Amino acid sequence: MSARALVAMSGGVDSSVAAALLREQGYDVVGIAMRLAPESAGSIARRRSTCCSHDDFEDARRVAERLDFPFYVVDLRADFAHRVIDNFVTEYLAGRTPNPCVRCNLEIKFDRLWERARAIDAAFVATGHYARIVRTAEGRFGLARARDLAKDQSYFLFTLGQAELERTLFPLGAMTKREVRDYARRLGLRNADKAESQEICFVPDGDYARFVERAAGPVSPRAGNVVDDAGRPLGRHRGIHHFTVGQRRGLGIAASAPFYVRELRAASSEVVVAPREALASRGLVASDVRLVSPDMMIGGSIPIEAKIRYRHPALDATLTMLAADRAEVRFNAAGPAVSPGQACVFYRRDEMLGGGFIERAL
Amino acid sequence: MRIYLDHNASSPLRPEVREAYGDLTELAGNPASIHRSGQRARRALEAAREHIAALISADPRDIVFTSGGTEANNLAIFGTAAATPARRKIVSSAVEHSSVIEPLNALKERGFEVVMLPVDRDGRIIPGGALEAIDNRTALVTLGVANAETGALQELAPLADAIRNCGAMFHIDAAQALGRIPLSVATLGCDLMTLSAHKLGGPAGIGALYVRDAACLASSILGGPQERGLRAGTPNLAGAIGFGIAAETVAQTLADESARVAGLSERLLARLFEMVPGLILNGPRHDRLPSTLGLTFPGVLGESLLLALDLEGVEVSMGSACAAGSVEPSHVLLAMGRTEAEARSSLRLSLGWSTTAAEIDRAAEIIARVWRRVANAEPARRAPIAEASR
Repeated sequence: MSARALVAMSGGVDSSVAAALLREQGYDVVGIAMRLAPESAGSIARRRSTCCSHDDFEDARRVAERLDFPFYVVDLRADFAHRVIDNFVTEYLAGRTPNPCVRCNLEIKFDRLWERARAIDAAFVATGHYARIVRTAEGRFGLARARDLAKDQSYFLFTLGQAELERTLFPLGAMTKREVRDYARRLGLRNADKAESQEICFVPDGDYARFVERAAGPVSPRAGNVVDDAGRPLGRHRGIHHFTVGQRRGLGIAASAPFYVRELRAASSEVVVAPREALASRGLVASDVRLVSPDMMIGGSIPIEAKIRYRHPALDATLTMLAADRAEVRFNAAGPAVSPGQACVFYRRDEMLGGGFIERAL
Repeated sequence: MRIYLDHNASSPLRPEVREAYGDLTELAGNPASIHRSGQRARRALEAAREHIAALISADPRDIVFTSGGTEANNLAIFGTAAATPARRKIVSSAVEHSSVIEPLNALKERGFEVVMLPVDRDGRIIPGGALEAIDNRTALVTLGVANAETGALQELAPLADAIRNCGAMFHIDAAQALGRIPLSVATLGCDLMTLSAHKLGGPAGIGALYVRDAACLASSILGGPQERGLRAGTPNLAGAIGFGIAAETVAQTLADESARVAGLSERLLARLFEMVPGLILNGPRHDRLPSTLGLTFPGVLGESLLLALDLEGVEVSMGSACAAGSVEPSHVLLAMGRTEAEARSSLRLSLGWSTTAAEIDRAAEIIARVWRRVANAEPARRAPIAEASR
């Protein structure tokens, strides 16, 4: 009997093609779509569409039917609200800039979904992520950037360790997005030309500040002062959750040179701004660090390239492990503004070494 | 070979119905037409009505065809509320089907007083509480005779006198009970009774409401005099014929079949109790539909177990089919005082006319094996199992 692979399907073209490829390779594919995002409040029509009717997963359902493999929708909304959304809100309230997609991979896809995989005796969990799982000469598993560098999603996967990588499949790692779309078209998948989803799934309108306010209710951030480095007030703001370190727009202050957000102070509700030069950082401290191959010595240093945001180019840096799950990253040249809460992911050429959550800038 | 244990969601079409569908010459006309084809269609419709009426010892003239149990419940509730505007109170229970609960919620928003009777740990209405709630402001008492999720049977006949004395209407939702236990509208003393075809091996999309006195009910679908003016529109003739044949078949076999199904579900339950330590039967041990086993499986999510069972060829459900798509745990189990975690660990196994002893033996073995695997796959929830097996 062929190995069973649980494929996380969103209805998008990537996960559909991932499922199709595995089916072609002879895996016993079981498709699972996860209900994660809560329905928008007050939307009765959407709430009522949950049973026996057309839903967001119709495309995934069709793919499963067409390729003749079982498909199910599992309800992980409670877990998602608890483990991803709550964290998202708390982080914003603390003046940090969270990355919920990383959290979701960590807490939902490679945790809750893994439980479901074991429950159905699946040897593998597969997703449509663009990243490659490689095997080193010593027999360890590694994670490498996707062949299509423009689509590379290894940044979101730094939380995967040896145990996870051994049982995970990323069928799209060696394909370009174009090849994936062509493949989908050849298969006659209706979603071949479907638009990419860009926004965070539970904030479809992209208005994070309003989302945070609704979720936080009475503990929503208060208005406060926009101050300069010396603490001199330059203006007022509507709450620190409207800002991210490095942000320039929406500061509402008149100044001769452009100001950028340098720091968010939750306790005093202050947004500290400074001219661009002052934002340059020398590095950062990351916590909750995970390494793909956890064999780096504490105190040991290695040269890496660090990605401090998904869409930022990697920066040459030196990584020093401060503790088993804490690291210091020093940029070789002055780096851009660092946003606490975001993930910092370590690379060496194509190889992804691991990563952590940015605690503070250096 | 797949083992279908979800008869409470929908029972497979009986061979007798399938056979009759091969030759539906009656379908050539509209039962309301005057010509011969119309007359033949009408005869077929009335024959079906007679078979259905016979199953609940009712007068065929009191059977109103609807599109199913849900519409029948809606007609009973909204129809009574509209026909008796002076009475603004409705009594029901916490364990009813959503096609009762949602119309009641709608009436509550229109200012009706809705009393939801609590149930005991077995999901049974406490008769004293019911009698207390019924008074001369009550327009309607609407209760299910057999629960879809647990199979619990309610003692409803003793309420009939009190309801009649208060001048209220008495509606019984018998969608799950029809064809599974003997029913008589006279014995139960009800004014209205909801019936559904596909729970007894007839087609989906057809049901009926027994209406003792049409004057007590207002129609919500207008547009023709069909079904005594209570349900306008050309009747679903093919559906009605299928319903009629299923009813006729069931009438001939009811006693034997329910004894056989009861034996099979007892056997399944005994095997599962043996192999799944800590298993809990939801609802009363006796006084239950012979077909239904509501079970709480220790240490697993019902959703995970259901999915894993489906991959092994055993088809069960998490509860009422329409509640299954929602995130909320079963309102029936919560009303019975069960915790949310218990409710989420529960599945419904429902047997029926097509279930065989061989299937039951195989199903028991598969369920126990898959339960063990799923329980071990979810380490966060493993604790209760270790406890249960001690």
